Amino acid sequence: MKLAVMSCIHGNYEALNAVLSDIDAQKADQIYCLGDLVGYGPHPNAVVEMIRSLDIPTCQGCWDEDIVEGLNACECSYPSQLAEKRGHLAHEWTNRAIHPEVREYLASLPMTLRQDNLCFVHGSPNSQHEYLLPSMDGFTALERVLSTEADVLFCGHTHVPYVRDLANGCLQVRVLHPDGVEREHQFSTPLKRIINVGSVGEPRHGRPNATYVLYDTDTAQVVLREVSYDYERTCADIIAKGLPLIFAWRLARGLEFAERADDPSHICQR
Amino acid sequence: MQWAILSGIEGNLAAYEAVLQDIRRQHSSVTALYVLGDVIGLKGDNEAVIQRLRSRRNGELEPQVCRGWWEEQCFSLYGLTGLPKAPELMAQFGSDGVKHLWESVSRESVHWLRSLHFGFHELDCLLIHGSTVSYRDELTPDTPAIQLCDRLIRADANTLFCGRSGLAFACWITPYQLRSTVTTLDATQSPIEYGKTPRRIAGVGNVGRTSGKAGYALYRPGTNSIQFKTVTYGAVRDFAVTER
Amino acid sequence: MPHLIAISGPSGSGKTTWISQFLKAQSTPQFYVCPGLGEISVDLARIGYRFPWVQVIPEAQLKAVLADLPEQATVYFEWGFHLDLGSSFLAGLPCQRIAVLPPDLAQSEWHAWADQVVVGNPVAAPANGHLPEIWCTPLTGQVFDPPSLDALLIELTGGAYGQVQRMKGIFEMPSGQAFYVDFVEVLPGMEYTELNIPPWLGGRPSRFSGIEVVGWGLEQEAIAQTLIDGCLSDAALAQYHQHYQALDPTLDPVEEPLRV
Repeated sequence: MKLAVMSCIHGNYEALNAVLSDIDAQKADQIYCLGDLVGYGPHPNAVVEMIRSLDIPTCQGCWDEDIVEGLNACECSYPSQLAEKRGHLAHEWTNRAIHPEVREYLASLPMTLRQDNLCFVHGSPNSQHEYLLPSMDGFTALERVLSTEADVLFCGHTHVPYVRDLANGCLQVRVLHPDGVEREHQFSTPLKRIINVGSVGEPRHGRPNATYVLYDTDTAQVVLREVSYDYERTCADIIAKGLPLIFAWRLARGLEFAERADDPSHICQR
Repeated sequence: MQWAILSGIEGNLAAYEAVLQDIRRQHSSVTALYVLGDVIGLKGDNEAVIQRLRSRRNGELEPQVCRGWWEEQCFSLYGLTGLPKAPELMAQFGSDGVKHLWESVSRESVHWLRSLHFGFHELDCLLIHGSTVSYRDELTPDTPAIQLCDRLIRADANTLFCGRSGLAFACWITPYQLRSTVTTLDATQSPIEYGKTPRRIAGVGNVGRTSGKAGYALYRPGTNSIQFKTVTYGAVRDFAVTER
Repeated sequence: MPHLIAISGPSGSGKTTWISQFLKAQSTPQFYVCPGLGEISVDLARIGYRFPWVQVIPEAQLKAVLADLPEQATVYFEWGFHLDLGSSFLAGLPCQRIAVLPPDLAQSEWHAWADQVVVGNPVAAPANGHLPEIWCTPLTGQVFDPPSLDALLIELTGGAYGQVQRMKGIFEMPSGQAFYVDFVEVLPGMEYTELNIPPWLGGRPSRFSGIEVVGWGLEQEAIAQTLIDGCLSDAALAQYHQHYQALDPTLDPVEEPLRV
């Protein structure tokens, strides 16, 4: 079975259309979406309507959550004061623009999705706000996959796609009890995998192209797809809708509007 | 240098006094006293324990106290942090528990509890009630190894002292093998081998929960050794086991 | 006789760099003047911070200082690209004329004016009559959120707010340090230099900081707004200062502002 997995569309309808056409051409059997349908981009309603009309199983992203619950992310989820101010502008605009039924739909989204040995989340199994970066400590990354009891963990949120194979994981545990009893055991895992599917509508790999991932459940083969689209149209719409001009400038360069946080694994206690 | 580390007085003043007495009796003197949360609870006299912690007697060490699960329930009841109305407390101890906790801690004491730290980083150790993930994170020797490993990495410490489980144990974790290979749009990077030196999670026991028997831990940074102590304040005599 | 030297050339060609090599010497009294940008400018402040023994002359005091120069004095006049080379002030000055010019510039009014041509950075010489605009603003008292400053400098020099040919600025950090940042369109990257001045951890710094941008089609309002958005509030600044003082209690808040 061939899966197409995408994430972080961020109201960019042009990019979503291009990715859906590419998925069609690649003849995928099933599509999954890892959230952040709205925020920053000019067409949040159209994006949600498209995802709903195609009945694509979707988990909730941090932006979807904020639109539902109100902006309550602590400032730690922004990398800079500037990014925070811009994030607030984008949030306020999106909050005004979206239709009630879209908000309801976003509220209904689950945090995680499962299919056999695959697990789908937005950020990490712990939180929609946690970034699983490729540079994260290997054992920490392994813990995230193991906590889901799946073999493959699909995530987004960082806006840069990657595949990370975690092989031959092994830990040794020696327990000492106060009564002097010592116990030793070993723990090892077969190959585990993190697949970050990148971003459809707000790429951050230095090019304006949309990214998503194809996964073959029979062969476990992964293909990172990069799809060009008419980003200038999205940029023009960003400007026409009165969103900050800098969003268009960054989109055209493949620079995310808000960069990642300093301490990516930080989980705020809200 | 020797630290006494304890947790879970839970309002039991007699148990805490017994521990303090045992600390005074140590051959090599204790140079620091850490209290890893849960100074209050349902069974004892919360106000008396808080007063005792705040009023140091002549020659006594200043206790370094951090917040625990019970303190967080109290903050929740007072609407100070987290969800209001302490749903965790309600689920575990019902409305009687909620009522009792509310009545047994004065507003002034809540204010003092609020000034406490989440935990302490000292030398290469983290001392905390649960873990850096949460005050409710309950680590035991039976917690999956990878999860213990994750908590140690997050703690950024060689020894993580915690108190949530109430158990006394030391657990050495050695993450000794893992091969990570990252493929991006542009290239497949050369594999990275992870593998680290052993690190340790220690549960420091519980002072006040079991009547007549209080547990705490002594730690010597110089030799990196932990000694678990059980103090009986009744007929049974003391015993201790050293872990190296 | 005091020695007077006037230095000119296009923006980013390396005038200040050329002058700086001589300012290192402390054996004779040295003076530095950079007219045209008001009482204080990034260059003036930077020379003052970097070479405290050099006397930087604000424009208003220029005449008085020139009338009373010590015998051994050397005076450097940095004559910006936006100033008229044929000005009567310059013509009346008994000075040596140095032009710092890009290597491929064969003919220009600087050639006709200069006694000596020094080869500088390969900046584009302005096309005839199409001089870039200069936008500058003091930022004294403002302290930046470091990642915000990084983001805005990348955007600014990347062309998000118009084509920037040259950008230089002095920025205050919450750690109390101040940085000089220098960007020239044709040169790779941005140059960050920590200024060798005492850390300022007592409230808002009263010493000079500021930015100067040279380019075409500059969206001044957007640049100004982005700068404001990247500056720390009183509360945030106080929190940072407390943090840094706790890290190193020997760091006293600066009490006497440094004169530039």
